[in-house]
Amino acid sequence: MHRYMFSRKSLGIPYALFLVLFVMAPLLVLVYFAFTNGQGEFTLQNLTGFFTDPNTLGTLCYSFGIAAVTTGVCLLLAYPAAYILATSRLKAKSVIVLLFIMPMWINFSLRITALKEILTWLEGSLAYHPFLNTVLGMSYDFLPFMILPIYTTISKLDGALLEAARDLGAGELQAFLKVTLPLSLPGILSGVSMVFLPAMTNYVVLDMLYNSTYIMGSLIGSYFAAYNWHGGSMIALLLLGIVCLFTFMTRGIEEENTRGGALL
Amino acid sequence: MTMRKNKAGRCQEVRTLLLAVFSFFLFLSASFAAEAAEGTGGEKEVTLRVCSWEEYIDLGGWDEEDTIDLDSGDIIGERSMVEDFTDWYYETYGIRVKVEYSTFGTNEDLYNMLTLGDTYDLVCPSEYMIMKLMTEGRLVPLSKDFFDETDKNNYYIKGVSPYIRAVFEDNEIEGRPWSDYAAGYMWGITGIVYNPELVSREDASSWRILNNPDYYRQITIKDNVRDSYFAAVGAIKSDLLTSEEFLKDPDYQKNLEREMNDTSEETIARVQAYLQDVKNNAYSFETDSGKADMVTGKVAANYQWSGDSVYTMDQADEDGLKLAFAVPEEATNIYFDGWVMLKDGINGSAAKQHVAEAFINFNSRADNAIRNMYYIGYTSVISGGEDRRIFEYADWCYGAEEDDEDVMEYDLGYFFSDEDENKGEYVITAPSDQADRQLFSQYPSEEVISRSSLMDCFDENQMQAINQMWINVRCYNIYDIPVWVWIIVGAVTGILLAAGGKRLWGKYKG
Repeated sequence: MHRYMFSRKSLGIPYALFLVLFVMAPLLVLVYFAFTNGQGEFTLQNLTGFFTDPNTLGTLCYSFGIAAVTTGVCLLLAYPAAYILATSRLKAKSVIVLLFIMPMWINFSLRITALKEILTWLEGSLAYHPFLNTVLGMSYDFLPFMILPIYTTISKLDGALLEAARDLGAGELQAFLKVTLPLSLPGILSGVSMVFLPAMTNYVVLDMLYNSTYIMGSLIGSYFAAYNWHGGSMIALLLLGIVCLFTFMTRGIEEENTRGGALL
Repeated sequence: MTMRKNKAGRCQEVRTLLLAVFSFFLFLSASFAAEAAEGTGGEKEVTLRVCSWEEYIDLGGWDEEDTIDLDSGDIIGERSMVEDFTDWYYETYGIRVKVEYSTFGTNEDLYNMLTLGDTYDLVCPSEYMIMKLMTEGRLVPLSKDFFDETDKNNYYIKGVSPYIRAVFEDNEIEGRPWSDYAAGYMWGITGIVYNPELVSREDASSWRILNNPDYYRQITIKDNVRDSYFAAVGAIKSDLLTSEEFLKDPDYQKNLEREMNDTSEETIARVQAYLQDVKNNAYSFETDSGKADMVTGKVAANYQWSGDSVYTMDQADEDGLKLAFAVPEEATNIYFDGWVMLKDGINGSAAKQHVAEAFINFNSRADNAIRNMYYIGYTSVISGGEDRRIFEYADWCYGAEEDDEDVMEYDLGYFFSDEDENKGEYVITAPSDQADRQLFSQYPSEEVISRSSLMDCFDENQMQAINQMWINVRCYNIYDIPVWVWIIVGAVTGILLAAGGKRLWGKYKG
């Protein structure tokens, strides 16, 4: 028994090593750069600079805007699809689910390249609607990440709850609004966080679809190209902060909701 | 804006920290390397770590039909240049070498890699980065033997174009000419690739095409601050640069370089306004898609380096689309990529330096220079000296067929010869359209060279101002957010807060 415990613990060593080397160490370097200047002295200027520069703030807003609209589009497309899929009695359901997942097996830059051609054909030239194109590209890219969690939560719903709602006199719509929707909230939230966060920084999609306005990812890149690691690190650190905040928030709502769901 | 004030002298402490973090990796790699060295059985082997641009050397594996069948013999890249070098060095000097060849994407990437502790012996950045590295004292000067023209293996010094040689000797930084530290590799100019059916040659011959509303959303421009800056300066100073008075001035060349490297506050502000205009008019800024977009017809014109423009036109020719290359009348940016040795890597080892210099020489041998040129499309700085194969190659590529009727004489004397009586020997009889196609971009005419300007290695303050300008152009300014967006965001936040509040209130009561 003793030996067994020992070997199990040692199984974690590679991961711990990995964590220290590739997660902790770079993070420490990041923090160090974020709070120092070119002379290696401690400074908060990178931080205050971020919040006083209309460009960085504007970029943050622009990234937020793209991410919010993308998430909205994904949600609007994914929820009905996932709902219909989960509640239908189709025999070929697993095949249809597969169809939704399949795009994820193809490298995303290949998919964007294909989308580029389709959009060029539809719009004449990609240059006229950079914001729209970016949102379309990102939605196309991240849609499976929204559909899957929602589909899973809805298909796991206890049918008895819906029957009970109908027994108590609720109509289809009311049953959906009062039972299905609140209970699928965890799926929605995990879908939202899986789409919103990458959409804020995935500048490759912007580059490939010719959007010449920077988002957070490209802004960090431009700081590094100008050898300003300090400003760039600070932006990266702040982004990390935003991600953490967002994750805690959704987790908070999720927890509250599962408790509420249990009460129901 | 305060954020950008504290940019960049790399200091000791940063290095110490980074060293601490990376020493572990270094330790790892060092032990691996030691193991590898032991594995070869104690035989003396020199390792050369080379870092150059992506796809910037012949990687071999040519098809039979790619053979360059010059009159003086066939040239073909069966194996990679690096493999061929390894064998050649062993045959010539009897010492085994191992070349670790890696690549970088931009000069800035390379600089960051070097500063973060990557060690290389031989790198191939552009001239402004060479100047920066020279200023920072990070380079090893080329040895005296390298310049010994009597050594038959010194292909570089015997074969470098007299024109390039003069540029490398005449340009100094901190009192020392480039040629002390750098050996050229490829060179070129900047210009506009365009589709002659959609864009007139006259329009393409000015930097002002970039914000020309006639080509609304049809032109791509380079997504990097230096190239954009140069083009913008050319455009805003167009009237001055093309004025009779300016062109006739005896100090024209000096004045041109001064004007094109103007970083006064006023010029930067004007460049910013101009580039903002370009951003609203152009198809987009592009990093690498410009070539393909020209070929597929997505755009009508494209700001391009001459080496890439050769490639673009070749590709388009295969699809039956005829493109052309124009060099703006105002000025063109001439650039050089060159080999330099790093102190950190060479570390005083004469054996290593010898291999590094031999690598430069091997790549400068006429047949190898031709292989590299053919493979990557850029123009080698090598003219061959007494070896006439480079000129033969240019003629092989672009010379007219016997039955061509519409031909012209294209004089390349400035590049191939420094003696006036020989200059006439280097004239290619080419189809007339080559005057603004591949031949013209691979070997620009002397007239174009006369209005070429180098771009300085800007100092820290200048770079900071220009980078800030670039960020102002590329970023979305928070003051530009329209009122209706604020209203919607405010409304949504209000609703969410109200809903949350209600819920909490309900909980509290319950």
